[in-house]
Amino acid sequence: MSMFETTLDGYAHSNGLRDVNTYYKVFFAICTMLVSLVSQSPVVPLLIFGIVTALIIFKAKISSKFYLKFMAVPFIFALINFIFMAIFFGVGKPLLELGIFNLAVTVDGFNLGFLLLARIMGGFSCLAFLALTIPMTELFSVFEDMKIPQIVIELAMLMYRYIFLFLDEVLTMYHSQETKLGYSSYRKSYKSLGMLASNLFIKTWMKGEQVYVAMQSRCYDGSIKTMSETGTIRNIGARNLILLAVFEVVLSVGTYLTGSLSIF
Amino acid sequence: MNVIETKNIVYEYPDGTKALKDVNFTAEEGKIIALLGPNGAGKSTLFLHFNGILEPSSGEVLVNGESIGYEKKELMKVRQKVGIVFQNPDDQLFAPTVMEDVAFGPMNMDLPEEEVKKRVKSALKRVGMTGFEKKPPHHLSGGQKKRVAIAGILAMHPEIMVLDEPTSGLDPRGASQIMKLLYDLNKEGMTIIISTHDVDLVPIYASKIYILSHGSIIKEGSPQTVFNDVETIRAADLRLPRITHLMEILNKEDHILFGEPYPLTIGEARRRIRQKAQD
Repeated sequence: MSMFETTLDGYAHSNGLRDVNTYYKVFFAICTMLVSLVSQSPVVPLLIFGIVTALIIFKAKISSKFYLKFMAVPFIFALINFIFMAIFFGVGKPLLELGIFNLAVTVDGFNLGFLLLARIMGGFSCLAFLALTIPMTELFSVFEDMKIPQIVIELAMLMYRYIFLFLDEVLTMYHSQETKLGYSSYRKSYKSLGMLASNLFIKTWMKGEQVYVAMQSRCYDGSIKTMSETGTIRNIGARNLILLAVFEVVLSVGTYLTGSLSIF
Repeated sequence: MNVIETKNIVYEYPDGTKALKDVNFTAEEGKIIALLGPNGAGKSTLFLHFNGILEPSSGEVLVNGESIGYEKKELMKVRQKVGIVFQNPDDQLFAPTVMEDVAFGPMNMDLPEEEVKKRVKSALKRVGMTGFEKKPPHHLSGGQKKRVAIAGILAMHPEIMVLDEPTSGLDPRGASQIMKLLYDLNKEGMTIIISTHDVDLVPIYASKIYILSHGSIIKEGSPQTVFNDVETIRAADLRLPRITHLMEILNKEDHILFGEPYPLTIGEARRRIRQKAQD
């Protein structure tokens, strides 16, 4: 149990916003992400990044260390993008001569790169909100309402469940190999890793068979029938819906007003 | 009345090895029956015959006096009557949440959703797992997973519950909680069949014991009869209950006799010792 407490899944199942209506959170995240993506200036996306980050850390009470780590990957990606955009994109007057290969940071390159960085961070914070405050299990019922084919949802459900079982299995095997000095040199590591992978494949196969027998024992006939959950769109409440609408409209107006703003 | 009866069932693997040889097993209604046997004796194979997952190569399996039919419709009925709880709860719990897993069986029985919800609620309450509805199985402890697996079967309202090593891998407290639960369910009228290695627990709960070894039943009867046959017990790689073993040593080594047959449970031993002390 302790193994999964500080993972994405652990936070998704126990955070400050756990009991807020799932649809409300999904709407909020998707609408805000869209506003962030259509914005023509970096101001609104950065604002969104700030607001959503505050929501995640102070409202959902996700550890800020974990959140920063989570956001580090997209940030590095966005930063590299920004640098390349600034140097290689755009024509127009140079802002800064680099002095090698005649390279220079141009004004529109810089602006475009910075806009992209802002949009990535804004959009990604919404995605983080989605991932950190909604457990997968509840997203499945949202998927169902979105009329995503049953077979896809069933596959996703089984995959989700078995990720954790196999993770456990892999760790056990890995520790046992380590105990027997399986990773003491590069050569041995490769060999051990190969054995682990092939063993896992066989175990997966066997486990699949056992699960099938257990499911058959409970009258499984080829399709997993699920119960519809209680939380629905109607449960969001008018007050919350209006709040959401106002928030998104203000953001949209913001993008319109700041449309021509840029740093240089 | 015998709710489950197997008549001379033989089960052969495709390569011809016999996993079960002429097994005659009966489970009387409302009893707890224990199946003892070493690893690889064929306990799980026998269990899979009770709800028609495996079809015997020869012989027949009767549920409520009727021979199991192996067409889909018949099988569904049998599987509803005979619920199997598997040894490893991770093989049984496949759904992303506890509630969805417990609802799986009843949903497959095409019950209306209201009824399913009612059953899930009462099954979880019965095993003491109320409040865990939305949890994913990997956030539960071993004992909790086991209880959810039992709830998943209970929600189908079976007449007979078959449990493969229900206490294996659990801490002592978890194990006795499960046994207590089974005992209570049995008092409410459910027939329970368990396979186990835990010879200390068996005499407390079971009214009839079968010993399976190398695919054959080598001994059957009440706990007293079965554990009196010490040679057979040891030949099957089993042992006497600890308290019985103590009584045996006291008798054979120290010539202190508390009366034959040796007591099988602590309660019985206590009675005998007190009696002796008073004399």
